[in-house]
Amino acid sequence: MVSPFYILIVGLGLGFLLGMTGKKQAALTNMLTLFAMAFFTGVSLHWIQGLYTGAFQPSMVFSAGFKPPFSISLFLGMHEAVISLMINVLGLISVWYFREFLLRDSKPLGAVLLVMFMGLNMLVFTRDLFNIFVFLEITAISMSGIILMNDNHHAHAAGFKYLLASSLISAFYLLGAVLIYFSTGSLYLDDILTMKSAFAPMALIAVFLMVIAIVIELKPFPANGWALDVYEAAHPGIGAIVSGAVTTTMLFLLNKILVLGSDKIYLLTASVGALTFLFSNWMGLQQKNPNRLLGYSSIGQVGLVLAILGMKPVLGDGVEMIGFGVLLTHFLAKAGLFWLSGTVKGSSLESWAILRNNPVILTIFGIFVFALSAFPPFPSFYAKWELIIGLSGTGNYLLIALILLGSLFEVIYLFRWFGIVVKAESEESDSGIEWGKAAGPALFALALLAGGYFARNYLSAPDMMNFIPLVAVVVLWVLDFMPAWAKNTLLLAMVGIYSWFYLPQYSDYQLIFGIIFMAGAVLTLLYGYSEKGKRPGFYPLTAMMFAGLIMLVEATTLFGFFFAWEVMTAGSYFLILRGKKSQPHALSYMLFSFGGALLILAGFAMAHAVTGLWTLDALVMDSPLSPVIFIMLTLGFLTKTAAIGLHIWLPGAHSEAEADVSPMVSGILLKAGVYGLIVLFMRMGTQYIGGVDLMVILSWVGILSALIGNLMAAMQEDMKRLLAYSSVGQLGYILFGLSMMSNLGWLLAISGAIMHFLYKTMLFQAVGGVYSRTHDRMMYRMGGLIFRMPMTFIVVLIGIIALSGVPPLSGFAGKWLSFNAVLQKEYYLQGALAVLAGAVAFLYLFRLIHAPFLGQLKDNLRKVKEASLWILLPQYLVIAVIMAVSTVPGLLLERIGKLLAKTFPDGGLLWVDSKIPFGARTAISEYGYWNGTYVMLVTIGIFGILLIVQLLMQRNNKKVGQFNIVYSGERPSTPETTHHAYNFYAHYSKALGFLMVPLAERFWTWISERVHDIAHQLRQLYNGNGQVYLMHIMFFFLVCYFLINGGF
Amino acid sequence: MGEKIVYAIIAVFIMLNYGFLVNGVIRRIYARVGRRIGVPIYQMYIDLFKSWGLRTNIRHGTMFYLGPIFRLTGGIGLFLFMPAVYGLALFTNFSFSGDLLLLLSFQFFGTLGMALGASESGHPNSAIGVTRGLAQMTAVEVPFILAIMAVAIQYDSLSLTEIIAQQQGGFLNWTLFTNPLATAAALLAMLGAMMRAPFDVVLAPQEIPIGPPTEYHSNYMVFLQSNRAIFPLAKSILFMNLFFGGATTIVMMLVKTFILLMWPVLVGVSFPRFRVEQSIRWFLRVPMIIGLLGIAYVHFFLK
Amino acid sequence: MNLTIDKIALLLGMSLMLIGLWGGFTQKNLLKIILSFSIFDTGLNILIVALGYLPGRTAPIIDGSAVTPENLALVAIDPVPQALVLTAIVIGFGTTALLLAYALKLNQHKKSLDINQFTDLKW
Repeated sequence: MVSPFYILIVGLGLGFLLGMTGKKQAALTNMLTLFAMAFFTGVSLHWIQGLYTGAFQPSMVFSAGFKPPFSISLFLGMHEAVISLMINVLGLISVWYFREFLLRDSKPLGAVLLVMFMGLNMLVFTRDLFNIFVFLEITAISMSGIILMNDNHHAHAAGFKYLLASSLISAFYLLGAVLIYFSTGSLYLDDILTMKSAFAPMALIAVFLMVIAIVIELKPFPANGWALDVYEAAHPGIGAIVSGAVTTTMLFLLNKILVLGSDKIYLLTASVGALTFLFSNWMGLQQKNPNRLLGYSSIGQVGLVLAILGMKPVLGDGVEMIGFGVLLTHFLAKAGLFWLSGTVKGSSLESWAILRNNPVILTIFGIFVFALSAFPPFPSFYAKWELIIGLSGTGNYLLIALILLGSLFEVIYLFRWFGIVVKAESEESDSGIEWGKAAGPALFALALLAGGYFARNYLSAPDMMNFIPLVAVVVLWVLDFMPAWAKNTLLLAMVGIYSWFYLPQYSDYQLIFGIIFMAGAVLTLLYGYSEKGKRPGFYPLTAMMFAGLIMLVEATTLFGFFFAWEVMTAGSYFLILRGKKSQPHALSYMLFSFGGALLILAGFAMAHAVTGLWTLDALVMDSPLSPVIFIMLTLGFLTKTAAIGLHIWLPGAHSEAEADVSPMVSGILLKAGVYGLIVLFMRMGTQYIGGVDLMVILSWVGILSALIGNLMAAMQEDMKRLLAYSSVGQLGYILFGLSMMSNLGWLLAISGAIMHFLYKTMLFQAVGGVYSRTHDRMMYRMGGLIFRMPMTFIVVLIGIIALSGVPPLSGFAGKWLSFNAVLQKEYYLQGALAVLAGAVAFLYLFRLIHAPFLGQLKDNLRKVKEASLWILLPQYLVIAVIMAVSTVPGLLLERIGKLLAKTFPDGGLLWVDSKIPFGARTAISEYGYWNGTYVMLVTIGIFGILLIVQLLMQRNNKKVGQFNIVYSGERPSTPETTHHAYNFYAHYSKALGFLMVPLAERFWTWISERVHDIAHQLRQLYNGNGQVYLMHIMFFFLVCYFLINGGF
Repeated sequence: MGEKIVYAIIAVFIMLNYGFLVNGVIRRIYARVGRRIGVPIYQMYIDLFKSWGLRTNIRHGTMFYLGPIFRLTGGIGLFLFMPAVYGLALFTNFSFSGDLLLLLSFQFFGTLGMALGASESGHPNSAIGVTRGLAQMTAVEVPFILAIMAVAIQYDSLSLTEIIAQQQGGFLNWTLFTNPLATAAALLAMLGAMMRAPFDVVLAPQEIPIGPPTEYHSNYMVFLQSNRAIFPLAKSILFMNLFFGGATTIVMMLVKTFILLMWPVLVGVSFPRFRVEQSIRWFLRVPMIIGLLGIAYVHFFLK
Repeated sequence: MNLTIDKIALLLGMSLMLIGLWGGFTQKNLLKIILSFSIFDTGLNILIVALGYLPGRTAPIIDGSAVTPENLALVAIDPVPQALVLTAIVIGFGTTALLLAYALKLNQHKKSLDINQFTDLKW
């Protein structure tokens, strides 16, 4: 058993010794520093191992054999050991990171580092209140010393402000420590703790002083200007130490002292923390300097931990673990990011783009960003879940709102940054990465993953999840060096095997959506064979998205559902980001998804609080809160289905994505939102607020989405944007169907979901095939492609006939069901708008086929070839399904109907046998009837007869050249001027343009601008003057004092 | 089944010829209003044989070739999916395939196919005609569907046979009298569907060769002319069935459809032409409001 | 109220702290700010010593006659606060020295000691 005192001895002793070495012994100094830090780490590890195996007991060590108050007392338990390990590992890496300075400079950096980390260790161990003061000062002084060793005058100014602030803070602390001694006669924490119930007023003030001093050390809003400057100006290695080691120590210290405080002090800490989290992240929105941005983010994260620790009287001791989860993520990610910052030259967010030259570094960066944003599987994700669940259980909704809003702001700037790094124009392209500096970040990124793995054990919710889909992600990540076709085959095989074993276990809605997701994976992956090269990163991300989707349908618990939801969001975000110009759209996708996910999380937490259940059946409830929960969850899912108003991310994200990603995120991914709505509606049913049926409101939202989505689609020149807007419209229909809460409505919605999946997959692939040959998405610049790409033309033809709902193809089923459902439900007005929306669909569908495929072939396209076989294959598979379902609609509708009868026993379709064999049955509704097979046969019959007549009638039919048209006896000049395709529906926008004003876009832009304006106003607080920062501290102190001790 | 097919062929034959004659009459009426003598009423037959007789015909591509076939399939199909004469096996057609909604959607089958074929010709005027037609169609749909909805609510059915059955027993049982608002909305919508003034900018038949049929000739024209004969008739049969009590004998059917066809002619000869955006706005004002009132009337007074 | 030595010391300590704070918040010259902080520290130290002084007691030296281990807590003044102050003085010295070093560095760069000159980093 190595006593922790050795850390003190070695640290101080070596510190003094090394201070005397000169430049000549630099190598030796460096070596000794490294050894000393390794020794610190060894002691921590030694204790952890001893405590874990039970060889050591958590023990108190006293100096010189005296008892307190006459000696220094150190306590070492598991918590202390772990925290000190974190600090010491960071110290070790820091020494390694600083080695060039250590070797080059004569300045005693190593000595100061050692003293500083010694001080931090002691702060963790000591139980003596005065000792804390001493070590606080030692760390503050050595930190200032390190900053002073920078050759950067900005850093000097920052260090000066830092030291001024530290002096003021330590004065507070000292006063507090002395007062507690006068009041209780002891400085030994454990003694004082026994007297807590009988504290005199002076002791209360003393505790307040000590707590507030350490809180200010943790940089609360607004008393934190001094710290930001250090983050920005000092060497990134120092940033890593301040943000990682110092903060961790201070938080641990606070937790130690906070025990003395009353509930009021806890509440104060919690409020200060939550506000700091919110405002710091808010101001972070305006940051352009990456290090200062990291500073704002650090302060925000620490504020969050403060808030969590402050909730201890409310939430119980469990908060420590939650706080630790957030802290650990912050510690690893921030230190790693600061270290990465050292490898980047230049001080703009764009300069970080050099990271993408190296996939490993980029991955590490991505891990940090996602961990900070609390995505699975990182510890912060579990912590966020536990925190919100806990807070909601105690009814702290305001705090939940603050925290969720803060984390949304954080995600905005983190992902803006991430997008820039992955996509922006790089200022300098080929400066290499220093591997020596990347070792630390790499280690910490691995630690984050490991932390996430262990964090699962601390989950209070039952964690019954099938993690097998995630294995595919890991496997593909490891095999990313292989060529694309091999990975494609591998992923296809994995999907195939998985569905072979798991699909039979699914039932009901799970089965329907499981089939959509897995069949979707197969269809979209087949397209992938047309891609050459390696496609680095594509396959693991695709696997991640599909893993999320599969886990989503398999989820039975609230946690499992949310976990899957976030995995899917992360995967799809990456996929969208891969597109050439998709960076802003991927960001807006991420923000809407994240905002939606936060609402879902809050809704789940409240549902759990009401019912106490962990399964999805927690949503079955009858409580005054249920309408609120319903609204939050619905909004959350509607962000994914892109209901009107929440749709603005969709057109860009779907159209700028890569050719085979568009069908994934459109045809398949949107169904996740639909599935969420089904899960929700099944359990919560119809909800009312003030007597208003929320389902009626949703039906209007749905129908307006349908109408406006279709109108917008008709106005697009870009074929992928057209399809994207069309998705808004179709998802609107699905929402409309679901909102009817009737058998026919749901039949409409679910068959609509399946059909949308088929149509959009097929059409996006067809359009992708066109793009692969023409490298253009503007439809008016094409024309006449039917002569060059007939196979693709047929696909689009079938697609538009089916989508427009013209019999005899399957789209008519939707129209028929919709009308019947509307009559049944008496939604006449919505029904009329649905018909209008359906008619508008003709406009964009015709445009989609006319502009590129019909009309005049352009000169530059005369040599394009048909799309490749792998692109066509999945499309024709879909066509086969569509034709089968069109001919015998019962195949699909009757089966879904049987399923729906469990939920809605009344009002379904009746299927009766008809005179025609092969299972053609007539569907009978309350109002009408329809037999798809007859319609198909009659239509084909008439068409066939007429075709024969035409063939017999014609004489000498011959094909003529392109310009051989009736043109006043002249030839038209160029295909460009003859092809009528641009601004195709000018008259329509003249008549109904008022419906197409981008109100939603303006609204969100307005919100975004105001949020950024406020951020800018807020950060004016930090005017750079050290004295003003001192006043902030004093002001903060006084406000807190009066809040706690009255006076207001 | 075999007998049904024979009946259908006979019915289509009758209606085609009737349509040709009616179209001849209408052309004469137009001529008389314009103080001309006009063509003989059998002019359509002359045109047909002339078109048929052309020695060469050309095509711009497969879709162009199939366009008129789609068009006529749409026209004949629309007719064949409805019961034209209530209770008469000869004219019951294939109405067992689907209800009113099938008809409403199927009328676009021909439109769409024709639009595709015309577009392939590469003639800008064809494409312009198509955009006009589609744009106008979306607006026409709204009052029409409101009227249909009112009818469906009133009779609790979407089955045409059932709707006709409920209108039997005296002309006061006709929807025209039981729900005049819905009928008015539908009749106004009918103007838009019949491609006559003031809503004939799609074809603009008088001045320039514009509109979808621009590039069509010879036996393509035969198909298109046949469709122009049967399609308006099919539509008037639909209106007759919905609002005017249907027909129990062939003669009654022929008379009623003729009268119905005169309605757009009457308006057409009296009014000048709307531009597309004007007609869209028009349909979304007066007829739509009447349609909504029709539904309100049914919902609050008849149920 | 009797103005005893301990009360005078208390008042003196507080006044010095307030003067120090005032100086720290209002003076623009770096050196004056540092000086103000020193004054503040001194005031704080005097305050602590004054708080620890109990009138009528003797020094905490166990000499076997007036002060014995048994009556230590009753007759002697608690030595701990003074020990603390001693430590605080040392630390204050270190802080002041570092602050002065910073002032030197800052002056070398901008040839100025005005704190308003060092606001390049903000927001």
